[in-house]
Amino acid sequence: MSWPAVMAERPENARHRIGDGVVELVDPEALGPRVADLVAAGGRHVMLLGLDERSVGGNGLAVEAVMLTTDGSLNRVRAALAPDEPAYPSISSIMPAASWDERELKDLFGILPHGHPDPRRLVLHERWPRGHHPLRKDVAAGDRPPEADRHFVPFEVHGEGVYQLPVGPIHAGVIEPGHFRFSAVGERILHLDARLGFVHRGLEKIVEGRSFAAAAPVVERACGVCTVTHGLAYAEAVEQLTATGIPERARRLRVLLAELERLYNHVGDLGNVCAGIGFQPAVARLGWLKEQLFQLNDGLTGHRYLTGIVAPGGLWADVDAAALAGLPARLAAIGTELAAAIRAILRSEGVMARFHGTGIVPQQTALALGALGVAARASGVGLDLRRDRPSGGYRDLEVRPVTASGGDVAARFHVRAQEAHESLRIMREVLDRLPPGDISVPLAATPAVGETALGAAEGPRGASWIWLRAGNDGTIDRLHLRSASFANWPVVAAAVPGNLVPDFPLINKSFELCYACTDR
Amino acid sequence: MPFDVFDRLLRPLRRGPVTNRYPDVPLEPPGATRGLPVLDGSRCDGTAACVEICPTDAIRLSETTWTLDVGRCIFCGACARVCPRDAIRLGSTVELAVRDRDDLVIVTQREARP
Repeated sequence: MSWPAVMAERPENARHRIGDGVVELVDPEALGPRVADLVAAGGRHVMLLGLDERSVGGNGLAVEAVMLTTDGSLNRVRAALAPDEPAYPSISSIMPAASWDERELKDLFGILPHGHPDPRRLVLHERWPRGHHPLRKDVAAGDRPPEADRHFVPFEVHGEGVYQLPVGPIHAGVIEPGHFRFSAVGERILHLDARLGFVHRGLEKIVEGRSFAAAAPVVERACGVCTVTHGLAYAEAVEQLTATGIPERARRLRVLLAELERLYNHVGDLGNVCAGIGFQPAVARLGWLKEQLFQLNDGLTGHRYLTGIVAPGGLWADVDAAALAGLPARLAAIGTELAAAIRAILRSEGVMARFHGTGIVPQQTALALGALGVAARASGVGLDLRRDRPSGGYRDLEVRPVTASGGDVAARFHVRAQEAHESLRIMREVLDRLPPGDISVPLAATPAVGETALGAAEGPRGASWIWLRAGNDGTIDRLHLRSASFANWPVVAAAVPGNLVPDFPLINKSFELCYACTDR
Repeated sequence: MPFDVFDRLLRPLRRGPVTNRYPDVPLEPPGATRGLPVLDGSRCDGTAACVEICPTDAIRLSETTWTLDVGRCIFCGACARVCPRDAIRLGSTVELAVRDRDDLVIVTQREARP
């Protein structure tokens, strides 16, 4: 039975199995209580997304909450909303991790999460007119509505001696745009309001109606530095929808690519943290190491940032044989140099004095806000999809997640450094047992209209998830990407208060999140 | 370790420069590099599969020409993959800077007829 048929029947608490996720239909009022039950059972927030059911036989909008259970499977709870007044009681007070998801679906679908604690715009800024919701099916992709005459009102703390410090969206350096509004007393930050959305390109709208293959280059370019992660999450979703099994060589090579991506990100981020305090020798040393990794990526795949290699059904091309043969020796040399560079940083007392106790995220905060990746593991939340929900080549690899308990910049630095070495170890293991053979297969089946699947990958910043629904003839009806950066931005905002203004760059760089895949 | 500091000072001098003398020494990208898409005009029969698949609408096709807007191209290589005549190849040209936006539009004559 396909999804539209299930929706039409609307039986109370109907359960229907698609892929590995059980989709449960509830009334809008029951969404919150149901999510609360799942949280109580150890469930973790994956995403909350808006849907327009009219393209798959429904009569209005819907919201779906996806949660990860303790055994690595998914719980999906969906509520169809009244066509004339799409609204439901907000679940952010039950699960704070869903706060930004709710703000986003309010912008893009016009769905109202009643009672949301912070119902301001997120993705669409104030000059985007009211009542124009681009992800609804009756809005065309290229629509440019006239600008509204409204302005951004920042959240500010007022009082005697409190001043406001606006930073960005244009920064001193080649980095992405984001506006940060600090309310500070002296040097101490009381509150940080982060305003993103400046690089929203409507990618989720652009891919609708495209074939699975044609959408792949768009999805992996959601940002520049998680291309393999997003490519893998997308490929996994497509392969699940089309019942495609990929060749063993592709399965193993994908692990190699994912770890190469983690390694160059971690090496670069370790250097960037040092840039946050102006410790230039380490910046230069790790920057040079990162450049070596870029050249290694280029030689293997033809792209420094590893785009255009992961394909639905395998890989677009095999890696370069000569570069692959030289890989173990080069990785060994990089590992030695990395260890020496990290030792030099840890020995520098001035550096460690800045790292320790700065930007603390307590474990409770990390859990409540749904922190992912390094941000979670450095606060003692041992989440890692490579171990908790392994897919592809990770199924037969042992991954040892690195955790720390401090939750400060030093803890995140430590976790990254350890993970870089763990990546090197995993790559060695993959290279030892890399079988010859094909690297791709054609997609096996064309999914029925309305069928859905989820794909995920643990990237350098944590787990990124793709929610995918099929349209006509193997095209995309709806795609939602919830990147690890999207999950972690609220955690940055929570880590900052109480710290000094000059420590913000350091704290920000210790998370090193993307803006582009947050905004999409 | 009082002499450690001298070692640290001398180490970069011993290592020497790690940068390249680009652009004095030409850049040679690795073999797998996907640079500027190039059309073999004698093979193109105008099926327009490349035009359809291009995610950024960078390709235009006319009776006699194949036009690529490098300013829109994201070098994904989808055009080369879908071409039934194998007429497109992503070459090794990566130095693509120009002074004029119009110079980013590259027109190739095509000779093959369906």
